[in-house]
Amino acid sequence: MSRVIDVPEVLDHRGFEELVAALPIAAEAAGARILFNAKHVRWVSPYGLIGLLALGRVARDRTGLSARIEAPDNREVRTYLDRMDFWQSAHEVFDLEPETTRSHGASDALLEITPIRSHHDVHAVVERVRERSATILENRLHYPKPSVIQFSVMLSEVCQNIIEHAETDGWVCAQTYNYRERLGREVLMLAVMDLGIGFEGSLASEHARRFGESWSAATALEAALLFGESRFRDPGRGQGLQAIRRQVAKWDGMLAIRSGDAQIALVPDWDDYPPMQRSLPTFPGAQILIVMPARSAGGR
Amino acid sequence: MSDSAAWSARRAEVPAIAVASLYREYLVTRQTGRAVRDGIERLFADRCGEALAIIDFRDVAVIDFSCADEVVAKLVMASGADPDASDTRFVLVRGVRDHHLDPVEGALRRRGLAVAAERANGEPMLLGDVDPDAGEAWRMLCACGRIRLHELARRMSLEPGPCDQLLSDLYRRRLVRRCGDEFESLSFIASAADDLHAPAELRGDDRPASLDG
Repeated sequence: MSRVIDVPEVLDHRGFEELVAALPIAAEAAGARILFNAKHVRWVSPYGLIGLLALGRVARDRTGLSARIEAPDNREVRTYLDRMDFWQSAHEVFDLEPETTRSHGASDALLEITPIRSHHDVHAVVERVRERSATILENRLHYPKPSVIQFSVMLSEVCQNIIEHAETDGWVCAQTYNYRERLGREVLMLAVMDLGIGFEGSLASEHARRFGESWSAATALEAALLFGESRFRDPGRGQGLQAIRRQVAKWDGMLAIRSGDAQIALVPDWDDYPPMQRSLPTFPGAQILIVMPARSAGGR
Repeated sequence: MSDSAAWSARRAEVPAIAVASLYREYLVTRQTGRAVRDGIERLFADRCGEALAIIDFRDVAVIDFSCADEVVAKLVMASGADPDASDTRFVLVRGVRDHHLDPVEGALRRRGLAVAAERANGEPMLLGDVDPDAGEAWRMLCACGRIRLHELARRMSLEPGPCDQLLSDLYRRRLVRRCGDEFESLSFIASAADDLHAPAELRGDDRPASLDG
């Protein structure tokens, strides 16, 4: 028996939330395998892509059965999934037929879906994107030359967040696309997710007592993002997220971190995302979204 | 004292130098930083008394905040941990370029630390958390290389007492070296040591130029 969850046509951060909300009901039925029906998906963002992997793994954890996935009908979306190496990672998450894995050949992605399991993976990611990010940031997004290194630093810190704090592995993925509906220009989207202990779990031993009853996923996110708190007493810790926050603000970008039942966001003028959301459907680990908009050719 | 005797005496008083060239393009992640710092600390451990570690950043294309904290900030923190220790450790960062500044300074400031550094073109600079007067004294000392307290006070138009406080604080933070009533910049020590230990530079009784003055 399967319980079907229909994947929204637009699978971005908002689509991901719909799926997170649908998961508990679908996972309730004992002995039921979850089927993610992605047949009608016509657009996927990097966040949506690795979000689907995260959902698949949570579905397996909750039901004890590997979830299945119905591939999109849309040819462009299917090609995109191939190019982003979705099926390679999906094989470790979903119950798939062996032939589902496809080779993508040459890819124009900034960073295909890459599992982050150790600091070696962080090194590999940073080294791999350097050349591609130089082309994309300078030529397509019109960022100044130093931004290529700053992007590498940000990528390294955001991936290390998984290793240092999640106590599990995760995925990272980045791509540019034309964000017509909101900005009318290109953006670079970077998504990083893990299913670890989350910000609340990570910071609890050091900070929960101080917050008393108000301690929650939301206060943990505020403590980490706004005040640079970390699970470690060492004052040198916690600066990675602070550096990311400063850099994203400098680029007039958007940063959103979802963890547990809350999401905190650094919201630029061009977006209307809420700066803090509480009482969201609970989801394990941390899900980070960074959006960097293109500058006009003359500067900002 | 003859030039030769002066040179021999100078050679004896220069601290042991450990040069750590970071032949890595990517200094990222805490684990990498820890490994690099362990290597530099082993170089320190091989040297008794005063020692200067020169960390060469010339080949470093990317350094992140976590790695900067592990390599630079924690090394600096350890060097100033016990001001009365017989094994005095100094750290000098060389080959600094603009893209190193944010992570290295960020890591140092977060701990209230500072390190003596040189830009890729050799220009001395202080990175991290230093008050403006101490920074001014440090720059003046760098311009001179080695100078007596009273002379530096005169050049800075300060009384010897306040100047001594500034320099003593810089020494306590291992940003300068104290030799009796004189103070030396770490760049001066490094360049003097380069000359003293480089055979090509030493012929007959020739005294290295950096010891003049």
